[in-house]
Amino acid sequence: MKKMNRRTFIKTGATAAAATLAAPALPGGWYSLPGADSAGYFESEFGITDALCRKVLAEALAKGGDYADLYFEHTISNYLILEDGKVNRAASDIGLGAGIRTVKGEQVGYGFTQELSDKAMLNAAATAATIASTEARQPAGQFLRLRTKDYYPMKTLFSSVPLKSKLPLLQTTNDRCFALSPLVVKVNVSYHDQQKRILVVTSEGVKAEDLQPRTWLYSSVVAEKDGRRERSGWNFGGRREFSYFTPALLEDLCQRAVNRTLVLFEAVQPPAGEMPVVLGPGVTGVLLHEAIGHGMEADFNWKKTSTYCTMLGKKVAEPFVTIIDDGTIPQLVGSINFDDEGTPGQKTVLVDKGILTSYMHDHISATNYKVKPTGNGRRESYQHYAIPRMRNTYMPAGPATPEDVIKAAGKGIYVQDVSNGQVKIGEGDFAFYVSQGRMIENGKLTAPIKDVNIMGNGPKMLANITVLANDFEFSVGGAGACGKDGQAAPCGFGQPTCLVKSLTVGGVRS
Amino acid sequence: MKQELYDLAEWAIKTAKSAGANDCRASVEAERLVEISYRERKPENLKEASTKSLQIDIYADGRYSSQRTSDLRKEPLKTFIGDAVAMTKLLAEDPFRTLPDPKYYQGRAAIDIGLYDPAYRSLTPDARHSFVKAMEEACLAKGGDKVISVSAFGNDSYVEAAVMTSNGFDGYLEATVFVGGAEMTAKDEGERRPSDFAYAVAVNRKNLPTPEALGEEACRRTLSLLGGRKIKTETLPIIIENRVVARFGNGLVQAMFGRSIQQKQSFLADKKDQKVASPVLTLVDDPFIVGGLGSRLFDDDGLATKTRAMIDAGVLKEFYVDWYYSRKLGWEPTTSSPSNLIIPPGKRSVKEIMKDLGRGIFITGFIGGNSNSTTGDMSIGITGQLFEKGEPVHPVSEMNIADNHLKFWQRLAEAGNDPYMYSGTRAPSLVFTDFVVAGI
Repeated sequence: MKKMNRRTFIKTGATAAAATLAAPALPGGWYSLPGADSAGYFESEFGITDALCRKVLAEALAKGGDYADLYFEHTISNYLILEDGKVNRAASDIGLGAGIRTVKGEQVGYGFTQELSDKAMLNAAATAATIASTEARQPAGQFLRLRTKDYYPMKTLFSSVPLKSKLPLLQTTNDRCFALSPLVVKVNVSYHDQQKRILVVTSEGVKAEDLQPRTWLYSSVVAEKDGRRERSGWNFGGRREFSYFTPALLEDLCQRAVNRTLVLFEAVQPPAGEMPVVLGPGVTGVLLHEAIGHGMEADFNWKKTSTYCTMLGKKVAEPFVTIIDDGTIPQLVGSINFDDEGTPGQKTVLVDKGILTSYMHDHISATNYKVKPTGNGRRESYQHYAIPRMRNTYMPAGPATPEDVIKAAGKGIYVQDVSNGQVKIGEGDFAFYVSQGRMIENGKLTAPIKDVNIMGNGPKMLANITVLANDFEFSVGGAGACGKDGQAAPCGFGQPTCLVKSLTVGGVRS
Repeated sequence: MKQELYDLAEWAIKTAKSAGANDCRASVEAERLVEISYRERKPENLKEASTKSLQIDIYADGRYSSQRTSDLRKEPLKTFIGDAVAMTKLLAEDPFRTLPDPKYYQGRAAIDIGLYDPAYRSLTPDARHSFVKAMEEACLAKGGDKVISVSAFGNDSYVEAAVMTSNGFDGYLEATVFVGGAEMTAKDEGERRPSDFAYAVAVNRKNLPTPEALGEEACRRTLSLLGGRKIKTETLPIIIENRVVARFGNGLVQAMFGRSIQQKQSFLADKKDQKVASPVLTLVDDPFIVGGLGSRLFDDDGLATKTRAMIDAGVLKEFYVDWYYSRKLGWEPTTSSPSNLIIPPGKRSVKEIMKDLGRGIFITGFIGGNSNSTTGDMSIGITGQLFEKGEPVHPVSEMNIADNHLKFWQRLAEAGNDPYMYSGTRAPSLVFTDFVVAGI
């Protein structure tokens, strides 16, 4: 038998399959033979047996192809909404379906169905199979269950928490926000919880089943002062249990939501033009995600549409800058036990001491680059196939104090919170909306600023990070999602206070 | 399929009522979608599926919830609806949350708004592939050695939906949507790889541009970005290309929603019958355009639609007030959201206008940014062309414009003669004076 790589087909035959599949040294995960566990959720709830999976995979490979996978999903999402002082609206959404993918080189055939009957799945598989046109191939004869660490264990499912325990979260938040300032005129609170159960089965014989929780509590505040109105808000969340929402956390949420709104009454518009920009810790890491991270997703690089496609192994930042994408941070919103292709969650160093060392890979791009998948193959739902996506992207701390960083900027702006980021991958150009920040004058923070965009170029910004502080934070929001190719995925981020030598600030004063 | 959708809607209403709901609305939607993309002269992705989902709005004991599911197995669905009704009863009472007064369902226009293209049924896989391949070829041919990558894509979908309420609403629609487009990335100086795309959406396939035109447009747009750089911060006239007016104008429309007004999040709340823009701006909401992407005979609440001048020669005339917020505000409802938004075109082409403007920026794309519906403040990144006396000087990138909606619409100087036809917003290019364009 020829030596097989990870992409090569596993022929029918339990022993051969077991031997080959045990071989890939995937960090953070291991495999066990079937029978070691009781039937999984999808088998007991929907009758998805190994035999059925094999039949559907065989159909997906009926016209050849290198690889096929099945993705089953059952997601229960709940929303509670408070408006005008009362929790007077609830919404639920149940997503049930299966997606079937056939891969041939870089080509993908995909079909999905919401009906988990043999017939519907075989139809979807036949659709996926049309991408290939050679000899039929057989999937692995036996599926081995992937076991990983659990980065978001659930002692109590959201479905076991009664509604009457959830309602006071919103009411307390509303009442406390009003109590914090007489200027508050409207409060909107929304609560979300989600239990996403997934099962990935691959033609290479991997079977992986997971329960991914996600929750957030969001408070939006409108305040009025001297006939002017301002609005802001805050959210806490992640892959957490209901018990995360303690009274102390709610108090923090309300303080932040109200204070962030009130400060806007003092805000000024900064001047327009190029200037030094200090990014505050935590949530501004979304800029790292957008301006730098996307360009390091491998699909943009093998298509040569990313500005980073020729920079692997080269210096892209100062030696004190390291950038990591990590699916293994407990309870962060971008964490995954394994990705949507069955590759275990792991930590991937993208930039190591200033040198670009790795892209983020899914199965297809890893084959293309002849490397191991990095566990970045993610998708929004069964209606989409996996593509390289970030998990939690962050830049570790440096030695300076935050005050040193602000002092080093001299004159510029301090960015405390950003939203609505967008990047043009090929040029590397990005834009961000600063929802909270301050002016920096004479090396000190002065007047608050608001409603201003900052523009820059990802590679230039990365090269222009000149000072890092020692105050690293992860963003602890749960409500945000990243969009790519029409698919939303929850991603986390973090960074310390840092100085970017120069960015364009889109103010209104020329 | 039509009867099957109705049967499920009717069953859902009956099930909810027998579980204790006083009223409900059930919408059942089925969709068939096909997506194809090509890259390097071979299929990159093929995707095909049928979906069906049920949405049910439950009104029980003066309380309200909204449920959606794609798990349509009868037994689990029955449990789901029963649980949903019980859960709804635990929420706070909301006297404003009711089904609309049925009198607003009346007066539905008896016209065919042409949402369904009969050619859909005869569309073959070959025709789909040929269209996408032709886009890719045209883009590659025009781009020559400047091309780094070209992707071409074609999607089509067929949607059928039945909506019923327990107080007598009955609505059905059948619609098709066709999408074609191509994206190109080109070689530029250094490591810059500018990309842009051409994209068109239409209800009738024959109304799409030819694939060759789309492929060539993707190439032309991308090549026009080569050598992009920023200029010094300057106050200049700007022209916003027709294709991107919808994104730019969205900040104004957001402030026109009843919810924004009632929740004190609208800078337009107290501006009805006042001049909010220059006389050049008229904004018509027209739900009856035959084959219009936003055309509809009834809105999300089931209210019969009609044509409305939202802004007439700069004066704000109407808001988007749905049934719920109409009750909260104590106003008459209008309609829940925009259908087709029309800005009437002007007389001159963009080229003619440019000649008279001297130095300015023709904005062809936006990036990032935001518009604050509470204050009207807007700040957004731009790409486009710097021009002088009608002639392009060079592309601009990494630049930004910022202003306030209550100020800059007053400086709308002219509308071009080029309404964009491939969107629910049919707007021409718009010319504004005196924008601060931030760069170096």
